[in-house]
Amino acid sequence: MSTIPWTEKYRPKTLKEVIDQKDIVQSLKNVVESRAIPHMLFVGPAGVGKTASAHALARDLYGGGYMSEGMFVEVNASDERGLQTVREKVKLFARSQAFGEVGFRIILLDESDQLTEDAQHALRRIMEQFSSNCRFILVANYSNKIIEPIQSRCAAFRFRLLPKKIVTKYLGEIAKKESLKASDAALETIYDLSNGDLRKCINALQAASSLSKSIDESVVYKVMGYVDRGEVQRMLELAASGEFLKAREVLRQMLYYDGVAGRDILDTIFRQIFRMKISDRRKMLLVDQLGEVDHRISEGASEEIQLSALLAKIPLTERAG
Amino acid sequence: MSAIWTEKYRPSKVKDVVGNKTAVEQFVKYMESWEKGKPSKKSALLYGQPGIGKTTTAIAYAGEHGYDLVEVNASDFRNAQRIKDIVGTGSQQSTLVGTRRRMILVDEVDGIAGREDAGGVAALSKAISETKVPIILVANDPWNKRLATLRQKSKTIPFRKVHHASLISYLRRICSAEGVNVSQDALQDIARDSSGDLRSAINDLQTVCEGRKNVGEEDLGALGYRDRPESVFDALNSVFHGEGLDEARRSAGKVDKDLKTFFAWIVDNAPRQLTRPRDLASAMEALARADVYMSRIYPNQRWVNLRYAVPLMTGGVALSRSETSRRFVRFMYPEKFAFMARARSHRTKKREVASKIASKSHCSSYVASKDILPFLRVVFQNDEKMARDLAEFFEFVKSDVEFLAK
Repeated sequence: MSTIPWTEKYRPKTLKEVIDQKDIVQSLKNVVESRAIPHMLFVGPAGVGKTASAHALARDLYGGGYMSEGMFVEVNASDERGLQTVREKVKLFARSQAFGEVGFRIILLDESDQLTEDAQHALRRIMEQFSSNCRFILVANYSNKIIEPIQSRCAAFRFRLLPKKIVTKYLGEIAKKESLKASDAALETIYDLSNGDLRKCINALQAASSLSKSIDESVVYKVMGYVDRGEVQRMLELAASGEFLKAREVLRQMLYYDGVAGRDILDTIFRQIFRMKISDRRKMLLVDQLGEVDHRISEGASEEIQLSALLAKIPLTERAG
Repeated sequence: MSAIWTEKYRPSKVKDVVGNKTAVEQFVKYMESWEKGKPSKKSALLYGQPGIGKTTTAIAYAGEHGYDLVEVNASDFRNAQRIKDIVGTGSQQSTLVGTRRRMILVDEVDGIAGREDAGGVAALSKAISETKVPIILVANDPWNKRLATLRQKSKTIPFRKVHHASLISYLRRICSAEGVNVSQDALQDIARDSSGDLRSAINDLQTVCEGRKNVGEEDLGALGYRDRPESVFDALNSVFHGEGLDEARRSAGKVDKDLKTFFAWIVDNAPRQLTRPRDLASAMEALARADVYMSRIYPNQRWVNLRYAVPLMTGGVALSRSETSRRFVRFMYPEKFAFMARARSHRTKKREVASKIASKSHCSSYVASKDILPFLRVVFQNDEKMARDLAEFFEFVKSDVEFLAK
């Protein structure tokens, strides 16, 4: 049998198979039962089952052909953000008459916190206008990026981070089905390094299986070493030892070659600061400077130049204090 | 003072117009269509930057082919009435006179469009509709919104910069006619400084030749009224080794690169020039502040921010040096440019792969490239069989697979 990505292979088919999130799953089951489906907002961190739950709900509601029969459509707001998508694609789908016994379609707007505010206002009108025809499920990491009027039109479901116990147990089941040997410590390490993101955990497990059928911690570290080569840390260390040119080269590599978002580099630096072997006072200083860099970048300044300026300051903060 | 050279050496024959062969040919054809009685459009719009022969071409043609030239300068127009008086009347009389043909030349058409009063454009437009003689319009910027109607009614003929070589050879002809000896270097400089504007080049030439028989590059100092471009290396020298704020600041205005490019040169070279960590940190912060101001320009075209950015990116760096170093470190072509070129194809490929992954994984390309693609890399580098299966699932082509296995 040919292999498909395990995240797809083990994607829950029905609400019953959704992991954890018990309260939410129960409410969604009730909703399917009664056919009284409101517009919904699924909020929560990455890889906790938001999109998966939406698909499972649709399958429970419409049956296996939920997508092929056109009752359910998925639009990814981060790839197709903006007014144009909402106006054209979403509106077209929303206004077309639904058939079948359920009587309305479902539009899944994934990563909808990426929609511009204009697009969200356009969406809000569409939600009202075509509510007899279709329901929206908005999926987002942060509800504060969704405008109030939309939030007030939706039933909000807050997905929580999946507990370590549940995730490692689930990973263990997958390992068994895939005839792998995986130690508990290995699975816990996967969970820790993936920040509890189940999609990442499963991808890591599958990647690990390409290295060895017997997975221990060292295999996991090897996989994660491939994935995050610790470039940010390397850059910070180079900067700290006064090798500014080399540090900038690493930065440019990440920004221009690997296409890493400046946002993600900022996040990693922020986490790294607290692990650095410098005094607490110096950590505070760096936090403050990083905050300023963050602000400038968000206002449109260049990621490379602002981060470079920060790198140039690191050896000073090392010595000072 | 003797005659102004730009007038003295203005060509009287169309074939003597310097450069712009295509434009001149188009213009001649257009005029011939009038002479055959069937012009496709009743007016022609000659456009392009100043001093490249638009008006000269029209005047030369009129002279050679026996036209009475009614020349009006649109900058003088105040209102519709004046246009009617001059253009309207002139354009109707041709047939009455009969013996000599008439051409109306309206110079600096953008001059009327620039005025608040749009009546002038409307009157001109009306005159074109009714004219019985060719009306030639000359403009610098044909895309001015208020010229839209005139543009539609006219045969448009673009004039381009005069090539460097043609410029120099024409300047040299003037020199020999005037009996002055001007060095090749000086001619090069004058030509380069004119950026294709023949008229300004001739004016400059006349200025430096005034009262001299021999002119070298050093005599160009007389041309104080136009800043001479400076090589990027000289400008960087002012920034990194200059006397202070004023010298550094001026370098940005003189350098023969646009400001963004010059900025990239400074940013790239700063860490090589400033080796003391404290100096470098201070310079990089000044550059970061300059970058902030640069970024404030674009959303709303607030060019005022430029005046804050320039002193920071130049003087801010100049003042960061805590001790005068006489050690010379060569300035380098920005590594960033080479880096970007190499990175471009890599990133394009990565985007393609990420978008294929996204379409099969219920997520965005961003999430795919961040949270899925790196794991696929591990698989593609370590397990050929699984890689083959996954490649089939994601519908990867050979180059995608190579990208992931690399």
